[in-house]
Formats: sequence, structure tokens, C-alpha cells
Amino acid sequence: MLTALNNDLKPFEDLITKFSREELKPHVEVHDRYPFGDLDVDVIEAGFNKIYDLGFLGIMLPEKYTGIGQGISTLCMMLGHVAEVDASYSLIIFTSALSQEIILSAQADSIAERIYPKAKDAKEYLVAFPSFTDPGQSKTLPEASPSGKGYTLTGKLDYLVLGSFSKWAVIPARISSNRGYSFFLVNLNDRGVTKSEPIFSLGLHACPIIDISLNNVSARIIGEEGEGERYFETASKIMHAAAASINAGIIRGSLREAMDYTKEREQGGRPVINWSEVRMILANMAIKAKVAELCVTQTCRAIDENLKDWGMISIATALHVHDLACEVVTDGVQLLGGNGYMKDYGQEKRYRDARQVQALLGLAPLKKLVLIKEIVG
Amino acid sequence: MLKRSKVKSYTKKFPRFENESLSLYYAPRMPKAMIKETEEAVALARKFNDEVARPLSLELDRKTHEDPDYLPVELVKKANEWGFYTMWIPKLFGGKGFNLPSISYFLEEVGSVCVGIANVIGVHYLGMAACMMLSNTRIIKRVMNDVVEGEKTGEPCLISYCITEPTAGTDVEEVDLEAKGRLGCHARKVPGGYILNGSKIFISNGHFSTWNVVYAYTDLKKGADTKVALMVKRGMKGFSLGTHENKMGQRVCPASVLNFEDCFVPDELVAMDPDIIKSYTKKTPRNVNMQHIDYVFSISRAGVGAFGVGVARGAFETAMKYANETEIDGKPMVTYEWVQCRLAEMYANVRLGRLAYTEANLANQHRGAYNILQMKPIYYYLKYLPVSYFKKVIAPLLDKPIATWILSKWYIDWQKPDDQHLTTGLASMAKFSCTDLGVRNCQMALELMGKAGLRHDSGAEKIIRDAKLLQIYEGTNQLNRINLFKSIVAPACPKATFFEE
Repeated sequence: MLTALNNDLKPFEDLITKFSREELKPHVEVHDRYPFGDLDVDVIEAGFNKIYDLGFLGIMLPEKYTGIGQGISTLCMMLGHVAEVDASYSLIIFTSALSQEIILSAQADSIAERIYPKAKDAKEYLVAFPSFTDPGQSKTLPEASPSGKGYTLTGKLDYLVLGSFSKWAVIPARISSNRGYSFFLVNLNDRGVTKSEPIFSLGLHACPIIDISLNNVSARIIGEEGEGERYFETASKIMHAAAASINAGIIRGSLREAMDYTKEREQGGRPVINWSEVRMILANMAIKAKVAELCVTQTCRAIDENLKDWGMISIATALHVHDLACEVVTDGVQLLGGNGYMKDYGQEKRYRDARQVQALLGLAPLKKLVLIKEIVG
Repeated sequence: MLKRSKVKSYTKKFPRFENESLSLYYAPRMPKAMIKETEEAVALARKFNDEVARPLSLELDRKTHEDPDYLPVELVKKANEWGFYTMWIPKLFGGKGFNLPSISYFLEEVGSVCVGIANVIGVHYLGMAACMMLSNTRIIKRVMNDVVEGEKTGEPCLISYCITEPTAGTDVEEVDLEAKGRLGCHARKVPGGYILNGSKIFISNGHFSTWNVVYAYTDLKKGADTKVALMVKRGMKGFSLGTHENKMGQRVCPASVLNFEDCFVPDELVAMDPDIIKSYTKKTPRNVNMQHIDYVFSISRAGVGAFGVGVARGAFETAMKYANETEIDGKPMVTYEWVQCRLAEMYANVRLGRLAYTEANLANQHRGAYNILQMKPIYYYLKYLPVSYFKKVIAPLLDKPIATWILSKWYIDWQKPDDQHLTTGLASMAKFSCTDLGVRNCQMALELMGKAGLRHDSGAEKIIRDAKLLQIYEGTNQLNRINLFKSIVAPACPKATFFEE
């Protein structure tokens, strides 16, 4: 739908669908076994390097930092197409964009200059970020102490996306003299960084997540002290739409597989799709798929056109699309019966992935409270 | 205000008040000893949870992810050591004879910690129910003896119910669909027995079981009318185990593939075929087939309802623990109204689900498969006479054809169709309501916990993976809705037809 409204997106769409079909689809089941199974870390890293080479990791990053300088529409279109096949890779692209948005919100040119133009590969370009955390909701964040021209960080940070892969991470931490929190750039290869084993999570398995401990780790502040909340708010406003686009893609994938299966499979001597209750469920899924797409498309438009209240629209879209996705993927498994529950089909993965995506950017009920606070003042 | 005759006349009108309010009528009739027995079953489940299920649940799930071929045999042995595989076998057949409805409460308890572990125990009783409802007392005695013996020797003897086929899932649970379905398990009559060919899939506990109740068809195009039920023992020539499925959840309970290649099943292990049916009833094989399916699922769907309440409870308890331990803006999470309301709703879902499966149990007790055991004199007779009495006096009688004839007549000819409709309908209602509530609570728990709930070590993510299967097995929740309509609602819709749209 995004492409229908904006023809400029067509070349990107062709590229991403080709990549998803040829590079991701054959490996979905094997990648999903991570952190178990025979999957070599090198294979995962090779996949990351491919999306780096294609420029997917800098979609909204300005060209001056070697990004491709596109808007939210391009990002959402790409995230959705990737999510139709394997949403784990959407999380990788999402995390890259989110850490970039934090840096851009803070207008931290020197940080951006330090990372992106100098990056030689995905490891150096992809900046890890706790994408499932709203740092303002977090009771425990690392402590930051001034040290020389910079800072040192000490403490624990949980659920750091790409923490085991990336060289750099954007880390929220509190400076004791400040009320709020601040963001810092940390080199994850620093000796003071201790990394956990990859965390076994509900979904999005191919995107590694770890906990880290920091012990007097040198860090550079991103933007101003105590302004982390403001940067996160600015970045997350736009990234809510991106999160919604991932789940919109998962919805499309679920609907497609359900339709394909119910056309093939028979019950009572005729294709399952010909039973009216099955059609009713499919219809509900299709309605939700359309609504989700419409929400994402219109939100992108609102952001691109800098419409008043686009931030609220973006949060509302994310909350609504996530709810729709969790319903659709549950029905998506159901329509395949026992087969839908097995890893030979894609539906069980979507059932897990959609719920994992729902948790991006913090606790859903608190986002609702933030939204209503903005509305009522 | 109204004469008694008027009261009776009004309450007997559709919907009959007694049928709509089983708890009101039947709870007072329950033998008191049943409550103590149920308490004992719940206490045992809680002890088992503390000592076995809770420490093992996440560890075993993780192991099955690390090695998808891993089968938790030690868990089955543990359950066997605890006596769980004979607990609900009637004393008449050598078991401990706990009242059958008490298994629901037991399964809910274990299911609240790990529904996969609950299934490793519970699905054995699906096999038992299928075996018993076939009413061949000689076969029942032989199979149950093996189970009791397995407990003594420490080598578990489990029973599986094998009906799902690669191209027929829902079709084998409803005769109207079975008549048109793409069936594949063929039984050919030969002198002295049947030759069995074909495959069964998604057989819970298949890799653990010794005995299998297998449905097959002498004519694959006329499945509903030509069904045979065969008892196939592990080790029989021509029977082999295939893979077990790589499932999203309930991974400790394998869903197995069973292959039959010219597997000869002797007459002594044929529990039902059209000729046997003819020997005790004038009903058609198709009708008896449906009655049998209804009996089995009336029992098992109440059990799956209990699984659903188990996961609803597991999700609720996990979310409550998190809310108790977590602060938002410096205040305990549980002090916020929005959190309290969600936890209250989750708790209510648990209680509502329990009411649903309790109604299904009451229907089984008074109007369905358990009714013979629930009559107070029989209940107390079975409860207080020693096992040795049954062994010496009753057991020899079970080998006599008359015993099989009486049991078959009891279940097939001497029950009221309305009672069976009520029982199967309420079991379906419990099944889909409780499992939907279970999945709903899991979703609410995840939303409440955010990223904390996504980690395997939180337990919450496992519950939502486990829960989804409950909406699928023992008939999809859609089939169960149709069954409820067909069984209980349809009398008010005389124009309704089924599976014919």
C-alpha cells in the first residue's frame, strides 16, 4: 500500500522482496533455531553483512553519514516486507534505525561521524540498543560518572539487542547529579564489558539479545546530560510506526500462509477454505491486515507531512496494530490446525514473533497511559 | 405461588432448567468421600509441582530446544514412581480408583506449572478412556493389568489414543466428516484378525506408550461405517515409531508418528468392528462410532478444559509475581488500578474456566460415562472393598463375554441420547472456553510484563507457547463450538443441519 501511494518506493520494494525471497526465506527455520542448533555465528553475521552491503541498515540515516537518507515510508515498507518472511531481520534493521534516531535526536554529529562513515562492516555499523526498553520505565540503569573528558559506566543493562554482535552500543545510564537519564556510546569490546550468553526468548530468534554488565567502561555522552528521555521520546515517536510496520508484515505473512493452506487442505471431502467458519476467520484476518496496512500507511504520511499530533498517531497505530497482529497470528496457527503448531510451517513462528514485536519500545499499557496523558494534557 | 406441577412443567421446557444448572442439582448428590479424594489429588499435585514439575519445567523445555530429538523419559518414570498412571484406573481393574472428575483438578494444578508435564500424565487417561469406552472387559483388564504391572516394575506402561492421520485431523472426530474424509489407515480382515496399514500422526506420548488404541477403516471411502478399533502393542510386528514433531510448545510431551506396515492384529485385540457392534445392538456402526467418539471426548475435553484453566492460572500467577516484585515510577506495580483490574480479570478467567469444566464433569458424572461409578452404593462399594476382593471375585468375570456384553449394552443402548448430547456439548463448551481463556490470560500476562515476559527464564513465554496447542487438540475450538451447537443449542433451531453447508 505504501508503494501504491509513493512510486519512488518501487525500486526499494523490488530490492527488499528479492532479498527476502532469495536470501532469507530458505534459511528461516534454521535461523529460528538460534541460539541452539548447528547455526554457525558466522552464518548469522554473513546475513547481517548482506543487509549492510545492501544499505538496509542506514535507510533513514542522512547521506552525509553514508546513509541513504530516506524517510519513514521507506523504512516501514522495507520492515514490513522483511517481516513477511522473517521478522528477526526486521528487528535488526529496526534496532539500527532506532539507535540512529537517538543519535540524530541528540544532534550528536561527532558520534555519528565516529561510527558510520568509518564503519567497514555490519559489526561496526550496526549499533546495539535495548530496543525493548523505555529507559524511563527502567528502575535500574547503569550509573555514569564523569571521568576526564568523558564518562565511565558501571552497572547492568538487560536485553541489549545485537549486544553480542555489534562493536558499538547506545546505552542509557543515570548520572547521579541528574534527575533523568542520558545516552552514551559504548565500545562493547571494552574490557569492562561482560556479556551474557544469548538470551533464549519467545520470538525473533535470529536477532541475538544479551544482558551486559559494565565495570568502569569508558563512554561518550550522546547529546546533553539528563536529556535522554527527550531524545528517546523523539526517536520512539517515529519508531512506533516502524514497529507497527513489522507487525503489519507479520499479519500479511500469516494471512497468506493461512489462505494457501486452507485452499490445499481438505476437510470432509472438500477444501477447508470452502467451510464458512473458516472463511469467516480468514475474513477477519483480512480485515485486520487491511486495517493494519492503512494505519501504517497513514501514519507514515502524517509523519512525512509533519501533521499535527503525528507522534500520538504513531503510538496509537503501534498499539492498535500490535493488538491486531496478536489476534491474527493466533488465528493463523488455528487455521492450519496441528500443522500450524509445528515448526515445519511459518505460523508458529509468527505467533511468537508478533508478541515479541509488541513489546518493542516498552510496556504496552504504559504507552497507552502516555498516549492519554498527551491527549488530555 | 405456583403449584408444584406447574413448576415442573415450566422448568422442563426448553432449555430445561436442570440441564442448564447441573451444579445446583448434582453437587449435593456427590458422595462426601469424593471431596476428600479430590483434596488428596490436589495435594499430591502440589507436592509433585514443588518436588518435580517446577524444578524441571524450564530445564526440560530448554533441553528439547537444544536437542529436538530429546525425549524426557525420566519424567515419565518419575510420574510412574509417583503412581500417577494408575491413580484413576478403577479398582475393579487394579488401579487406585480415584474418582474420575478429580483428575481435572489434578491436571489444572500440574498444568499451572507446566501443561506439557500435565499432558504427559493426562493423555494416558485419554488412552484409558478410549480403551474403556470400547467396553471390551477382557481387553480393558489386560491393558490395565499391564499399566499396574508397569508401576510395580518401574517400567511405565502408558496408553495412547491414535486417531489423527496425515490427511485427516478434524475428519476423524465427527462421523459426518469421517464419511467424506481422506482417510489413510486401512484394516483388512483376514482369518484370525486384521492386517493394519497406514500412519497416525500427532500421537501424544506415542514414543512413551506401550499400548495404542488405533482407529482404522476396512473401507477408506466409507470410513464412518467401517471403523475398527484395534489395540496395538509396542513391539508387534509391522508397527514402528516414526519421528516426533518439532512443536512450538508442550515439548516434553512428544507428538509422534506411528507407522503400520502389514501389522497383524489378532482378534483378541480387536475392540470394535461392525460385526462386534452387531452382536450387542441394533444401532448402525456409524451411530455407535459417533457415540464412542462422544464418550471419549466428553471425558478428555473436560480434561483439556482443566489444562486451559491450568495455563490461565500459570499466566496469572506469573504476572502477579512480576507485579508484586516490580515498581513503576517508584511505586509497586500492584498499587496501580490498571494493574489490579487486569490481575482481577485474569483471576476471574481462572474461576470461570473452572466452573465450565466442573459443569462438564457433573454431566459426565450424572448423565454420562462416569454415571455407573458415581452411583453412591457402587462408589462406596468400589472405594472400601479391598483390591484383593476385586482380584479374586470380580476379575475372573471380566474375561467372560457377558461382562463385555453388559458394559456395551450399558453404554450403547441403555443411555438416553439427550444425556449424551448434554454431556458432549458441555465438554466441548469447557474445552473451547477454558482454552480460549487460557490463551487470553497468557496474552494479558505478556502485555503486563513486557520484555521481562519474553525471556525463557521468566516462564511466561513458555506458557503462551504451550497454551496455543490447547485450542487445537481434542478437536479444534471451531469443531467444539459446532459440537456444542449441534448437541445443546440445535433443538431450538429445527432447520439447522450439520457439516452440509
